[in-house]
Amino acid sequence: MGKVLRIALAGNANVGKSTFFNQLTGLAQHVGNWPGKTVEKAEGTVRLDGYTVKLLDLPGTYSLSAYSEEELVAREYIAVERPDVVIDIVDATAFERNLYLTIHLIELGAPLVVALNFMDEAAKKGIEIDVKKLSKLLGVPVVPMVAASGKGVKEALVEAVKVATGEVKVKPLKIEYGKEVEDLVKRLEHEVSEKLPKSPYPARWIALKLLEKDEEVQRSVAKESQGEAILTLASLLAEELERLHGESSSVVIAAERYSLIGRITKEVQTIKAQPIITFSDKLDVLTSHRVYGYLVLIGVLAGVLTLVLTVGNYLGSLLEPILNLYLITGLEALMVEAAVLSPVKSIVLGLANGFTAGLVLVIPYIVPFYIALYLLEDAGYLPRAAFLMDSLMHKLGVHGKGFIPLILGYGCNVPACISCKIMETERERFILGFLVPLIPCAARTIVILTLVGKYIGIHIALLLYLFNLALVFAVGRMVNRLLPGEPVGLIMEVPPYRAPKPKVFLAKAAVRIKEFILIALPLLMVGSAVVELLATSGWLTVAEQLLHPPIKALFNLPKETIIPLVFGVLRKELAVAMLAEAAGTMNFIEVLTLKQMVVFTLLTMLYVPCVATIAALLHGYGARRTALIVATNLALGTTVGVAANLLLTVKPL
Amino acid sequence: MRKEVVELLELVKELGPSFNLKEAARRLNVGDELVEEALREALSQGFVEKVEGGIKLTEKGLREVASHREDYVHGRLHVLPTFLRRVFEGKIADWRSHWHQAHQVDGEGLEALRRSLRNMDFRVEDTVPLTALRENDKGMVVLLVGGRGLTRRLAEMGLTPGVEVKVARRGAFRGPIEVEVRGTKLALGYGVAQRVFVKWAR
Repeated sequence: MGKVLRIALAGNANVGKSTFFNQLTGLAQHVGNWPGKTVEKAEGTVRLDGYTVKLLDLPGTYSLSAYSEEELVAREYIAVERPDVVIDIVDATAFERNLYLTIHLIELGAPLVVALNFMDEAAKKGIEIDVKKLSKLLGVPVVPMVAASGKGVKEALVEAVKVATGEVKVKPLKIEYGKEVEDLVKRLEHEVSEKLPKSPYPARWIALKLLEKDEEVQRSVAKESQGEAILTLASLLAEELERLHGESSSVVIAAERYSLIGRITKEVQTIKAQPIITFSDKLDVLTSHRVYGYLVLIGVLAGVLTLVLTVGNYLGSLLEPILNLYLITGLEALMVEAAVLSPVKSIVLGLANGFTAGLVLVIPYIVPFYIALYLLEDAGYLPRAAFLMDSLMHKLGVHGKGFIPLILGYGCNVPACISCKIMETERERFILGFLVPLIPCAARTIVILTLVGKYIGIHIALLLYLFNLALVFAVGRMVNRLLPGEPVGLIMEVPPYRAPKPKVFLAKAAVRIKEFILIALPLLMVGSAVVELLATSGWLTVAEQLLHPPIKALFNLPKETIIPLVFGVLRKELAVAMLAEAAGTMNFIEVLTLKQMVVFTLLTMLYVPCVATIAALLHGYGARRTALIVATNLALGTTVGVAANLLLTVKPL
Repeated sequence: MRKEVVELLELVKELGPSFNLKEAARRLNVGDELVEEALREALSQGFVEKVEGGIKLTEKGLREVASHREDYVHGRLHVLPTFLRRVFEGKIADWRSHWHQAHQVDGEGLEALRRSLRNMDFRVEDTVPLTALRENDKGMVVLLVGGRGLTRRLAEMGLTPGVEVKVARRGAFRGPIEVEVRGTKLALGYGVAQRVFVKWAR
C-alpha cells in the first residue's frame, strides 16, 4: 500500500458521476451516511501507480448554497476536510449550467480537475468544446471523457493524481465580476480576512456568501467574536447591491456568475449544427405526452411489479426447499444429537427461520425490484414519471418527485422510507413518511394474494389495492392540511434519455441490496427468534388469551389470527406462514370465513409498519415523528378493520 | 384610475425623452384625441410634468406605475382571479403579510419585486407568467416573484433575468412546464412557473 490520496467527485445530478465512480471502484465501495445527516456518502478505493486513491462521491448538486443538506455537506467537506483533489464532472451537453458549480468550486479554493463527460453526445449535437482553451482559461486540467464507455475515465484519475502529488500545478482562474459587484465583494472580503483570519473557507467565498445572504454562513459568522461587525457591513453592502440592480442580491450574484460563464462559453464552445431532434426527444414525445405518457407510465409500473412478483416467486420457490433441507433440518438434527437445551434450541431455530424467510420471502423480490429501479433511473425515466405525476402529487402536498418513494413502497417500505430524502424540505419528507408505510409492499402483497386473491377472487384483491390508493390519497390530503408550512413547487432538471449500462446499474442495485440485507435481515432473524422463544415458553398462549376478547369484539376474528397479527409487527411477510402454523392447516377456509379474510388482510395491510420499516423511519425522522406515524397507522388500521367488519356483516360478500 | 392613463404613463416611462403623441397613439393602437385626453388627465393629476422638449414622469406618476405593475403581477399569480376573491382582496389591510401568506413572497422578495418593477423599462403588460406561453413559444426572463429561497434556486438553475427560455412542453392538468434554458431542460411545477415572468417573443 503506497501513499493514500483523497479525491472527491463533485458535479451536478445526472452528469454521470456515479458512472465514473462505479467504473473506477466497481463493487469495492462503501455506502453510508454523513455523520448526523440523511445525505448519502459513497466511498471506494482505487489503486493507481502505487497510490491508494480513496474516492469519495459527493452528493450531486447544482450549486453550493445553503439550499439543501447535500450542498451543505459538499461544501463543508471540500473546505474543512480538504481533499487532495476534487474532480468536477461536467456535462458537455449542458456546459453553461454545469460551469456554475465549477465556478463555485474554484471560489471555494478546491484543487480542481475538470472531467468533461458526454463528449460523444455533445459531438452528435454539433457542440464542440476547445478542451485546451478551457483548461487554460480555468487554469486547471480538463480531461475529455465518455464515462459510460470508460473513455477518459482513467486519464481523469491520472490527472487528478498528478495534481495531488504536485506533478501538475494548478493555477485556478481568479474570478472577477462586473465592477459594481466586484467592488462590494472586495470591500467585504477585506473585512472578512481581517476579522476572521482562521476560517477554513476563503475570505472571498465568505464575502460572496454573505452578500448572497446564505443563512448558514451568516449563522457561523455570527458565532465569531467580531462577527457582528462583518454581518452589519454585509447587510449594508447587500442592500446597496439590491438598490443598484433591483433583484435580490442572490439573484444578482447568480446572474453575475452566469455572465462570466457566458464569456467563457463564448470562447471555448462552438455549436456547429442546427439543433437536432435526438432519439431522446422522440421518445419524450411519447413518454411525456399528456395522454400516452400516462399509458406508458401505467405500463412501466405494471411491468415492474409483474417482473418483481414473477422473479421473486421463482427465486423464492427455488431457494426454499434447499434452505429448509440443509439449514433447518440440518440444524434440528444437529441439536438433537448435541442434546441442546430447549430455549437455546428455540433461539437457534428462530434465527435460522428468520434467515430462511428473509432469503425466500424478501430478498428474491428486492433483487429484481432494485435492478428494475436503477435501470429506469439510469435510463432517465424517473424525472418523466415525476413530471407526469406532479399535478396529482401536489394534492398531497408534495411535488412530482414524491411519486418515486411511493412506487418504491410497493417493493419494500424500507428503501422507500430511506428514499424520502430526495425531497427538499422537511415538510415533504414528513408527509411521505406518513404515506409510504401505508403502501402494500411485496410481503403484504403475498398476504393479499394468498388469502383474498386465492379464496375470494382476484377482483376483490384488486379492489383492496384501489381502496388502499384512495386511502393513501385521503391521508395525504389530511396531513397536508394539518402540517404547518407551505408546499414547495417542482424545480427539476429533465436529463435526456440515455442507454443504461448494466455494469453501472447492477452495481448500484448491488449496493442497495447489500444495505437492505444489513438493515433488514438481522431484524428478521431476531424477530423470529423472539417468536420462537415465546412460543416454546408458553407466553404466546397467554398473549392469545389476553388479546382474543378485544380482537374478537373489534374485528370478529378467531384466535388463530392473534399470533400472526401480534408478530406481524416483527415479520409482516410471515403473517400467512404463522397463520398456517396457528391454524394447523394451509387450507385457510377451515379457520377463517371469507369476511374474516378480508378483515384480516386489511388489518395486515395497514395496522402497523413492520419492525424494519420502523427502524428506517427512526433513522430518518427521529423517535417523536416515528411514534406519530406509527400511531396514525394503528388508528387507521383499527378504524378500517372495524368498519370493514361492520360493513361486511350488513352486506356479506 | 382609467386604463388609458396608466398605459400612457407606462409609455412615458418606456419612451422617456423620445415620447410624442403620434408614437403613443400608434403604440396604444388608439386615436390621437384619446391620447391627448389621457395626457390632459395625467397632467392634471400631477403624474407627468412638462419639461424642456417633452414630458416626464413625476415621482407620483412613477409610484402610480409601480403600483399598477404590482397589481398586474399580483393578478397574474392567481389560478382563477374570481370575482369574490377580488372583492375580498379589496379589503386586505396588510398587503405585506398577504403577499407572504397567499403567495409565499417574503418581505425581501417583495422588496426585490417592487424594485425590479420600478426599474423595468417596458410596459408590464408585455410580460406574462411562463404558464401563459404555449409549447415552443420563447420568452426572456424578466421577473422572479417569490421568497429568497425560490428566486435564488431559479437563478442558480440558470433562470436569471435576461436569459432566453423556450417552453418545450406543458404538462396535463396544470402540470409542470418544461423549459429549455442554457442548453438544458428544466421542469417547473405550475405554481413555480407562474412566478417566472417573461417578456414574450411573439
